[in-house]
Amino acid sequence: MATNDENTKNLHQAQEPEYDEITHERLLSDHEYDGIRELDNDLPPWWKYLFYISIVFAIVFILVYHVFESADLQVVLYEKEMAAAAAKYKRTDPSAVAASLTVLTDDESLADGKITYDKICSVCHAKNGEGLIGPNFTDEYWIHGGTIQDMYKIVITGVLDKGMISYKDQLSPKKIQNVLSYIISLEGTNPPNPKAPQGDRWVNGEKVAE
Amino acid sequence: MEPEKFYYDNKIVKQFALATIIWGVVALLYGLFAAFHIFLPNWGMHLEYFTFGRIRPIHTNAAIFAFVGNGIFTAVYYSMQRLLKTRMYSDLLSKIHLWGWQLIIVAAAITLSLGITISKEYAELEWPIDIAITVIWVIFGINMFGTLLKRRVSHIYVAIWFYIATWVTIAVLHIVNSFELPVSLFKSYPLFAGVQDALVQWWYGHNAVAFFLTTPYLGLMYYFIPKAANRPIYSYRLSIIHFWALIFLYIWAGPHHLLYSALPEWVQSLGIVFSIMLIAPSWGGMINGLLTLRGAWDKVREDPVLKLYVVAVTCYGMSTFEGPMMSLKWVNAISHFTDWTIGHVHIGVLGWNGFLTFGMLYWLIPRIFNTKLYSTKLANTHFWIATLGILFYAIPLYFAGITQASMWKQFTPEGFLVYPNFLETVTQILPMYHIRAFGGSLYYTGVLLWVYNLYKTMKAGSLVANEEAEAVPLPVQEKKSTSEGWHRFLERKPLLFLTASLIVILIGGMVEIIPTYFIKSNVPTIESVKPYTPLELLGRDVYVSEGCYNCHSQMIRPFRSETERYGEYSKGGEAVYNHPFQYGSKRTGPDLAREGVKSGKLYKPDSWHYNHMIDPQKINDKSIMPPYPWLAKKDINMRLTPKKIRVMQTLGVPYPEGYDKIANDDLMKQAKKISDGLSDEGIDVEPTRQIVALIAYLQRLGTDIIVDK
Repeated sequence: MATNDENTKNLHQAQEPEYDEITHERLLSDHEYDGIRELDNDLPPWWKYLFYISIVFAIVFILVYHVFESADLQVVLYEKEMAAAAAKYKRTDPSAVAASLTVLTDDESLADGKITYDKICSVCHAKNGEGLIGPNFTDEYWIHGGTIQDMYKIVITGVLDKGMISYKDQLSPKKIQNVLSYIISLEGTNPPNPKAPQGDRWVNGEKVAE
Repeated sequence: MEPEKFYYDNKIVKQFALATIIWGVVALLYGLFAAFHIFLPNWGMHLEYFTFGRIRPIHTNAAIFAFVGNGIFTAVYYSMQRLLKTRMYSDLLSKIHLWGWQLIIVAAAITLSLGITISKEYAELEWPIDIAITVIWVIFGINMFGTLLKRRVSHIYVAIWFYIATWVTIAVLHIVNSFELPVSLFKSYPLFAGVQDALVQWWYGHNAVAFFLTTPYLGLMYYFIPKAANRPIYSYRLSIIHFWALIFLYIWAGPHHLLYSALPEWVQSLGIVFSIMLIAPSWGGMINGLLTLRGAWDKVREDPVLKLYVVAVTCYGMSTFEGPMMSLKWVNAISHFTDWTIGHVHIGVLGWNGFLTFGMLYWLIPRIFNTKLYSTKLANTHFWIATLGILFYAIPLYFAGITQASMWKQFTPEGFLVYPNFLETVTQILPMYHIRAFGGSLYYTGVLLWVYNLYKTMKAGSLVANEEAEAVPLPVQEKKSTSEGWHRFLERKPLLFLTASLIVILIGGMVEIIPTYFIKSNVPTIESVKPYTPLELLGRDVYVSEGCYNCHSQMIRPFRSETERYGEYSKGGEAVYNHPFQYGSKRTGPDLAREGVKSGKLYKPDSWHYNHMIDPQKINDKSIMPPYPWLAKKDINMRLTPKKIRVMQTLGVPYPEGYDKIANDDLMKQAKKISDGLSDEGIDVEPTRQIVALIAYLQRLGTDIIVDK
């Protein structure tokens, strides 16, 4: 059973201050709610300063960014970031190296090519090159030409209407060379569930009339 | 004056407590589902009701509004009666509040499972439920203020200040964020679009955290900690300062959910600085909670209730420091869209809300059942398992978030992205998801112990449905005397207190939202941005319904690492017809803002989308996206197309006059073209299937401002 004598206490307030028996801090005399008392402690100074500092931070932040405009906002920062990158990575036209490309057969290049293939190409040409959304890489048929130069051109420019995007901003010429070498090495591997041949037949870098 | 005899209504407290327990079990079970589903994409048995996009909103809504919501009501109904020395104003209103709220939760669970959603996080429910929430909330308010007015205590205690602020702010937030125009009983479009919709949503979303998970639980803390510890509140002055500072500042902080987005930067900056200024007021609550325990620390060692409270308040202190830090734009550039955020919110909900709720019921159930807690030992075990659970939950997610963010941002010496395929960055953090699921399981085990312990306690005792009490009636309130401080005066004027709180919480929202809505320069118009075609519009509805936004953002930030991966950064003017916006808040999968740009980085042909939607693991065996085979079986609802066009016109989307009548013809033309194209690739699908509309929408994304050569 709960009782309440708070109001009577209000009326006959003993002016004698009360103290908490453990901390010896002053209790607020007319503050009692269902037995809960409140102490008359001040705000902890460190807390007060934390609050002041955060307010100062807020004012300075707004002044710097929006009143004096002495720091860059996000779009300006982005433009600077892009300009810095453009200056740092002076990319040559990737098609310049096309003519000199050769098919690599060393293990290191092929292993690197496979990593790229698994990350990027397999999403459309399937895990083992058997083709799915994109054409089959394991047969002798090529839609856009069967030389590494032809294939390189496709990787650089894409076939947008068919959903093949350009990878010139994602892969360096060397990476492309490696992955194409790997793709060429897949010919004749006969994986399960192959996609039907598309395009013309190519043997040893030559188009074969059928 | 003679003391009056009256009875506390403990039955309503018991009922809300039971609802808290039952919904806690459900909400956390859904969380556990989601935690496992994220690395077991085929877990859902290929049923649409069990994809991550639908489970996650059920989990968040259930945790916030069902578990914590009923926790709030338990605390309010128990403590208000005692703090005000009166029974609740009306038993009937109490009952309507109780059952109305539970019905809303059931309706929410059913509709969200069915994909009926408006896709605004923690406000997903469709308009009829929104109205029901408003009605029940008003009933709760009448019951609360009725109780306040018939109280037998002159001044209202700090716990009740927090209850009042909660009530009024949630009312404002819910109503404004639910402005929507119905298309049918189960479908509506929000009044706001794009940037403005995002701002209103995160003003709401952030303050749902503030005024549903924080302020009412501070009220709960202010009652149950001093009661359990039998110690006085550390500082009344601190209560006043931190209460008013907290509710005034909190409301401004919403824009920190939209840093580096297309939201005008002055609004973003307000979000940042007000978040920083929130540290001290939040910690004011923590200090008052922890320092109230001075002189009771010896009890903390033995009493599981106090132990739970100490960890709860500590978690509150941690997450209210972490939150402002994550609001700093330099930190947010890393943490946003990653699992860091998920870790952060769970410190809050599992630690602060969960532990306070556990402690409150361990303390309260034996009291209203006139018995002792069945097993203190079991409660201690619960405490330790749950504490470990939180650590195993949150720490891996911090690792996951930082790891993934750095992988997103890493470039090779030649200036290419090291991980151009998003999936690689997901595969890398899968072990962290496994550990998180383990942490969640631990926490859940603790919850089951809690339920068992409380069940045994209830069985051992019997409910004191009407607890007898006595108090002197309140004398006629005098006018403010000169010796009375202004706050002391306010404490005996609940309606004035309500008004003051309302004014204080309205300021921040108004300063941020009104100019963003009315001043045109805040969202610059882009001429080439056109309304969606009818098919795209219906496809967008499928996207919303499946909850794609739960895993895919549509907001490319202006960072080189993002534009290299996704394409041109997102502009505010691109989203002016997006009712609702779909910026998203988490990237479990890649951003889709430029998905349809053919010359872009992510473009995929229609046939890829078809195959990927039906069986994502066929495209990539490491993919964690669940399959959506029903999209190829279910039809879009073309009967609603004309009405949808008309509603969009009302909302200001410039479809030509009378377009609603021919919209379905255009829709079929576009759908046939897509299905013919798919048929050339050997895929046979009816043009009216949902998947066709969804593909049309995806191929439209981001194309308005990019001209394909």
